[in-house]
Amino acid sequence: MEIFPSNIITLNNHQPKSSNMLFNSYTFLVFFLIMLVLHNLMPFSWKTKKVILLIASYTFYAAWNPPFILLLWLSTVIDFFVGRALYTQPNRHKRNFLLVISLIGNLGMLCFFKYGGFLLENFVTVVNAIGINFHPAKPNIILPAGISFYTFTTLCYTVDMYKRKSEPVKHLLDFSLFVTFFPHLVAGPIVRPPQLVPQFETPHKATQKQVMQGLLLLSLGLFMKVVLADSMLSSSADAVFSAKNALDPLDAWMGVLAFSGQIFFDFAGYSTCAIGVASCLGFVLPENFLYPYAAIGFSDFWRRWHITLSAWLRDYLYIPLGGNRKGKTRTYVNLMITMLLGGLWHGANWTFVVWGALHGTYLCIEKLIQDLRKKLAPIAVEIQNKEAVVVQGYKVNMAPRFLKKVSSSNFTLALITFFLVNVTWVFFRSPDFSTAWRLLSSMFGHVKSGAAILSTLNIIKITIITIALVACHWMMRNTRVLNVASKTPWWLLGIIWAAMLVLLVLSQDTSNSFIYFQF
Amino acid sequence: MSYDDGDALWADKRSRAYEPSDKATVFIGSSRNKFDLDIPTWEKLTGEDAVQLAIEGESPTPILNDLANDKNFKGKLVVDVTEGLFFTRDPGNLATPKKYIKFYKDETPSQKASFQVNHALESKFVFLDKNYFSLNGLLHGLHIPDRPGIYGGPDFPWEFSKKTFDRQSMMDPRFVKEPALQKKVQGIWTAFAKMDREKPPVGKQLDSLLFVVKTDVDKIKARGGQVLFVRTPSSGPYLAAEKKAFPRNQYWEKILEVTNCPGIHFEDYDATSHFVCPEWSHLSPEEAKVWTKNLVQAMQEKGWKFSRQTSSL
Repeated sequence: MEIFPSNIITLNNHQPKSSNMLFNSYTFLVFFLIMLVLHNLMPFSWKTKKVILLIASYTFYAAWNPPFILLLWLSTVIDFFVGRALYTQPNRHKRNFLLVISLIGNLGMLCFFKYGGFLLENFVTVVNAIGINFHPAKPNIILPAGISFYTFTTLCYTVDMYKRKSEPVKHLLDFSLFVTFFPHLVAGPIVRPPQLVPQFETPHKATQKQVMQGLLLLSLGLFMKVVLADSMLSSSADAVFSAKNALDPLDAWMGVLAFSGQIFFDFAGYSTCAIGVASCLGFVLPENFLYPYAAIGFSDFWRRWHITLSAWLRDYLYIPLGGNRKGKTRTYVNLMITMLLGGLWHGANWTFVVWGALHGTYLCIEKLIQDLRKKLAPIAVEIQNKEAVVVQGYKVNMAPRFLKKVSSSNFTLALITFFLVNVTWVFFRSPDFSTAWRLLSSMFGHVKSGAAILSTLNIIKITIITIALVACHWMMRNTRVLNVASKTPWWLLGIIWAAMLVLLVLSQDTSNSFIYFQF
Repeated sequence: MSYDDGDALWADKRSRAYEPSDKATVFIGSSRNKFDLDIPTWEKLTGEDAVQLAIEGESPTPILNDLANDKNFKGKLVVDVTEGLFFTRDPGNLATPKKYIKFYKDETPSQKASFQVNHALESKFVFLDKNYFSLNGLLHGLHIPDRPGIYGGPDFPWEFSKKTFDRQSMMDPRFVKEPALQKKVQGIWTAFAKMDREKPPVGKQLDSLLFVVKTDVDKIKARGGQVLFVRTPSSGPYLAAEKKAFPRNQYWEKILEVTNCPGIHFEDYDATSHFVCPEWSHLSPEEAKVWTKNLVQAMQEKGWKFSRQTSSL
C-alpha cells in the first residue's frame, strides 16, 4: 500500500487509573528471574514449559486486577472456537453470522469498557441540547488493562479465519499463549497469529545470543522509561499541561517538547522491554518503533511509530474501506476515517479525535503533494521505487529510497515533520480543548506576559534530551540498535550498559505506570 | 537510613488503621505530628501501636474525611492542628492526601509486592533515598539559578529530616547541633510567610469548614470511635505569626467547641509550654520523647484509656 502510515499511536490525557505488574517494578524483576530459570534452565517438556508460560501470563495480568482474568479468558476461548468455525464452516451465511457475532462480542466489550462513559456523556449533551432534561448517574466503569491491545490481537485472528488467510491454530494452549503471552499482553506490540503461533508450536530454547540481546534491550527499555521519560521529562510536561493560565512561549514549547520525548521514551521503552523479555525466553516479537523523530514526512512517520498498530489499521480498516483502489477522493476519505478512528482508539475523548484528524490532514496534504510531483515529473519521481522487506512472514513497505538519503535538505524536512508532530501532541496530551488552545496560543506568542513556570534545570534537561533524541534518531534511522551494538567494541558497550544501569538505580524511585496502559 | 515516605508507605500504614481501638491509635495532621510524636516512646508507654498518617505540608481534613466515611474504622484518632494547614482551602494543600488515599484504594497486588521488595532494599542502601541521592535529587543539588519569579521549591538540608519505616520524621544530630542548618530552614519558613498566601477563613467560610470537620468527627464517634485534637509545639517568630493570624479563641477553641472533642494545646501544660524548636516549627528527637510522654499523660487525664496505663511521668 502507499501512503498510509505504518502505525498509530498512543497517549493520554490522564494518569493511568491503575497499573499492572510493570516492567519497571521490583515485582516484575522477581517474576522475570523465576521465569528465566523455569523456561530456560529446567528440564521440562515443551508442553509443560508452555503451560508454565500461560500460568505466568495470567499471573502477570492478575497482578493488576484478578477478576478481569475472566474477561481475558472468555475472549480467548470464544475467539478460538469461533475462529475455527469460521475457517471450516462451508455455509457462507453461517460464516457471516459467526463473524458478526465475533465482531459484536469483541468490539462490544471494547465499546462498553472504553467508550461507555464517553458515549453516554455525548448522548446526554445532545439530548439536553434539544431540550430533553436527561441527567443519568455517571457510570463507574473500570477499563481493563490492555483491552485495546488484546481485542485487536484476537480480532485479526477472527478476520484472518473468515478470509481463510491462514490456518486455524490447532491447540487452545497455543492460541491462549498467543493472546496472553505476557510481554505483549497489556501494551503490545500487537502481534498476528503467523508471527507468534509457529514459535509456540515448535520446541526451541533461547540461545545465549538471544538472552544477551534480550537483557540489553530490557536495560535500554527501562532506561528510556524510568530515567528519561519519568525522571527527566514527566514533571515538566505535567506542569505545563496542567497550568491554568497562559504561559511564556519558552515554557509552553519546553512543555510540549518534554511531552514529545516522554511519550516516545515511555511507549518505545515498553516495546523495547517487551521485545527484550521475549528474546530472553527465546521468542521474537515484531519491532514497534524505528526512530520516528527522524521521519521525513508523515507517511514515513507512521512507518516508524507504533508500527504494529498502524499496520493493523492499514490491513483491517484502511484496505477493507477501499484503500487507494477507489479513486483519489475515496483515498483521502479512507485515510481520514482511518486516522480519526485511530485517534479514538487512543482514548474516549474528542481531543484524541482532533489529534487523529490533524495527522489525517497532514497525510492527505502530503499525498496531494506527491501526486502533483508525479504529474510534473513522472519519470524522475523516485517515490514509486519502494523497497519491500519481509518481517516474520509479513511484507512491509519501506520508505522510498530518496528518504534514506542522509542529506541536509532531508534533515530540514525531518525537522519540519518533528515540529508538526509536536503541534499534534498538544491535543493528544491536553485534557480538554481549552487547555490545548491556551497552550497553542502561548506557543505561538498570541498571549501577552505569559507565566514562566519551569526551572532552569528543567529547561536544560529538556533541551539536552530533545537535541540528543533528534540527533540519535537521525543517525540511527537506517539501522537497528542491535546492529550497532554488535559492531561496538565490547568495552565501550560495557561502559554504556553499566552507565544505563547506574542511572536506572539512581532513578528507581520514579516508577510510574506506562502511559498507554490505559488504551 | 531514610525511607521513601510516599504513597506506598502511607498506604501500608493506612491499612493498619483497622487495628482494634485497644491496640492502636491513628494520628493525622501535618509534619509536626511526624516530628513530635516519638513512636517508640508512645508504644512503650501505652502498649499500643501508633499508626502515623500525617503528611508534611498538607491539610489533614481529606484524611479525616476518608476515615469518617470508612465504616470499618472505629478506633482512636488524634488530629494534629497546624492552623495554617488545617484551615486551608488551597487545593495545593489538599492534593497529596487525596492522591495517597486514591493510591491506597486502587493499590494492586503487584504494587503491594513491589513495596515489600522495596522495603527490604531501602533498609540496606542509602543511595535509594530519593530526595537527596536520586538523579533528580543530585541535579537539584547543583542549585542552578532560576529566572526571576520562578520558585523551585524549598531546599531543605538533608540533615533536617530522616524518615523511619513507621513514618516518624526526625532531625539528624548534626541538624540539632548546627545553627547554620537551622537558620537555613528558618529562612524557608520566612520565605513561605512572605508568599502571597490565602487569608485565614472567617465568618461563613470558617463555619462551613468546621461544619465539614464536625460532620466527619460525628461519623467516627457514632461508630464508637474517639477523636482528640492536638496543638503541637512551635516557637519563636513562627509561633508569633501563627498567634497573630489564627487567634486561639477564634480557631483552636472553636474546633473543640464545634466538634465537642477534647483537645490538648502545648501551651496549657508547664512541661510542654517551654519547648524551643530548633527551626521554630518542629521538635528535636530528644524533645519529641519528652513531648510524647506528656502527651500520653495529658490524654489519660482527658479520659483516654490505653492497654498500658501510665501513672505519673
